[in-house]
Amino acid sequence: MQQTLEDFYKVIRAAGINVSPSDTIETSRTVALVGYTDRNILKNAFQVSLAKSETEQELVAECFEQFFSFDTFSAANDPHSDNKADGSEGADGKEQVKSEQNEAPEAQSELAKMLMEGDTASLATEMKKAAREVGLTDIWFFTQKSLYAQKIMQKMGLRDLQNDIAAMGKGDCPSSIAQAGELRNAKEYLAESVKDFVEQQLSMYGRNATRNLREDHLKSSKLSNIEQRDFHVMHDLVRKMAKRLSTQYSKKKKQDKRGQLDFRKTLRRNVAYDGVMFETYWKTKYIDKPRLLVMCDISGSVQAYARFLLLFLHSLNDVMQRIDSYVFTGNLIPVKDIFEKYPVEQAIDKIMADHGMGGSDYGTTLLDLDDQCMDDIDNKTTVLILGDARNNFLAPRTEVMQTLHLRAKRVIWLNPEPTTFWNAGDSVMYKYRPYCHMAKTCNTLDHLERMLDDLLKAATS
Amino acid sequence: MKELYKDKFTSVEDIQQRFEAAKYICSEQIATCVYIAHNLQKPVMVEGPAGVGKTELAKTTAQILDVPLVRLQCYEGLDESKALYEWKYAKQLLYTQLLKDKLSELLEGATGLEQSMERIHSHDDLFFSETFLEPRPLYKALHEELGCVLLIDEVDKSDPEFEAFLLEVLSEFQVTIPELGTIKAKIKPLVFLTSNNSRELSDALKRRCLHLYVPYPDEKLESRILSSRVPELSDTLRKEVVSFVQQVRELDLKKVPSISETIDWAKTLLLLHSEQLEPGMVKQTLNVLLKFETDIDAMGDHLRTFINKAHKRSGR
Repeated sequence: MQQTLEDFYKVIRAAGINVSPSDTIETSRTVALVGYTDRNILKNAFQVSLAKSETEQELVAECFEQFFSFDTFSAANDPHSDNKADGSEGADGKEQVKSEQNEAPEAQSELAKMLMEGDTASLATEMKKAAREVGLTDIWFFTQKSLYAQKIMQKMGLRDLQNDIAAMGKGDCPSSIAQAGELRNAKEYLAESVKDFVEQQLSMYGRNATRNLREDHLKSSKLSNIEQRDFHVMHDLVRKMAKRLSTQYSKKKKQDKRGQLDFRKTLRRNVAYDGVMFETYWKTKYIDKPRLLVMCDISGSVQAYARFLLLFLHSLNDVMQRIDSYVFTGNLIPVKDIFEKYPVEQAIDKIMADHGMGGSDYGTTLLDLDDQCMDDIDNKTTVLILGDARNNFLAPRTEVMQTLHLRAKRVIWLNPEPTTFWNAGDSVMYKYRPYCHMAKTCNTLDHLERMLDDLLKAATS
Repeated sequence: MKELYKDKFTSVEDIQQRFEAAKYICSEQIATCVYIAHNLQKPVMVEGPAGVGKTELAKTTAQILDVPLVRLQCYEGLDESKALYEWKYAKQLLYTQLLKDKLSELLEGATGLEQSMERIHSHDDLFFSETFLEPRPLYKALHEELGCVLLIDEVDKSDPEFEAFLLEVLSEFQVTIPELGTIKAKIKPLVFLTSNNSRELSDALKRRCLHLYVPYPDEKLESRILSSRVPELSDTLRKEVVSFVQQVRELDLKKVPSISETIDWAKTLLLLHSEQLEPGMVKQTLNVLLKFETDIDAMGDHLRTFINKAHKRSGR
């Protein structure tokens, strides 16, 4: 039973639930306590000890139903066993004839006997045993399906079965030829069931592997190359990332200089001064959250990136409270409200439709910024600009960047173009660059994550 | 450390029956969870919407096991000194002042710093002993002679620091007080943590607990709960009330009514001597069930259909 439990943990892990070794030990103890007699209680026991949230509880229940279902074989074989019933009657009749003639070759292998008897229960057991021997639980990719199916069939004694069929088909005796035909049919049913079984196992064990592979790929491919259909996966990825970043950095607390006096800590601190309270220590703490102003270019030249930058912006909006988001082509447009009002895809479509396209004008945008937001920018604000700095040969207004540089805590520019293109054509990146604390290329999710990590670290320090 | 309570749960059904006798109708999942928690001495993290009986579960368990219930209500800013122990500073100060003379008596005849120190040392840490210790819930829970049920309510409201501090308590059932050393539980308490999910709890804490999610009950369960809690209610009215509430839960509301509200409402209707749901009566008592003005407004259009359905359900 230990093996079965371990396999079940594998399934649970494949479903995306983190199960640590100590979890498995505890769960095994739990199972030993409640026993296997009551299916429902066992399921509940698994649920309470393996799952860590409501959704995970449902996942565990689902995995449980899938893993501990024993009807796969018989269900797959239903038509076959009907056949078999008829067939065996026929075989009975023939057997009498056979015993008279006493010359037709008999089915020799275990597998053939089981198939002839239509013993689905032992067939299923055999199949599971074979599956365990070939290590089916390690399956993780769909291309391995036929390989494993073949291996299982071999383990169950496919060769002997084939020999039997060949031997029976050879003779002249019509009954054994008929039997050989039946066996051949049965073999096909068996192959079919094994394939079904392998597929079902793949769906349990390989669930996560395929997804992880795809996510890894998406993380490192260029944002402009990611297709519409991957948007949902991207969305999840970005959300996950943004959430992780924000929890990491929103925890930092600072001591307030007011409120209730922490007597113990104050005393301890002032031991050095002979107990005279020079340094006070207060109980109140406040969370020092970084303040972020993000402006994102959504003009034609960055069109391919804009969707994902906006997606990221939206996710940041979700997880961080003190963030002001703006988009621009020629003017600065606040989008915080739109993000709050609509779900992500709608919001992005709406922004792109309402404000997107057109050539970008960084100069006017910067003037807008100077006009609208400069007063709110102080030495605690980090300004993040997402854009390619392609200014369509208009005035760059670097003086605003200069003020921004002086006022803000940090100015960070993320440019989707590689550094070599920064000064080519109408890009004015080289003019803005001196006024940025950091200017970097950013065109994959990995880049974005690394950048934001840096950004938040700096913002909270 | 003794491990078990004198009163034991023997099986899942046993728990269900005894809870029922204590007027707490629990689903099989809840019973299984309590059974495991009790036998393996693991803390239980109970999650679910407000008012489904999370706190009540701990109370009932304490009642059945016949042990005291120690309750620790969490809130933002809760720290060790309020959860575990605190020194009675005022008493300490007062005693040092009062005993000043005694101290000088004690030190009389001692020559040199070293000797004086030694004399004081021979009287040990008088001021940091249990006499000057103000026990708080966690400390109390570890000190109960017969074990207890420890309820850490709304743990998600506390700060991450406090959560980290809980880890030692929950896995080892011991705490370390710098001045006194490590204190171990006399009998491991049965711990229930409740959470309303206002904050994601750390994995380390989740890992140490059994996880129990208590959802809104289905019609059958709610009907049973109601008949056990408000037995005076007539069969028809009970069916109607349950059906009505179940329908209300389907709506998109700010605060969906939970079991405690159903019970309150049933009691209200009983008090007003109603024998069946009537639109007028329902409208007047709706504020027992729904806690927001907007929710009550949203109900307006559905009221009649819901009542009609409830009547059908009860066979009228």
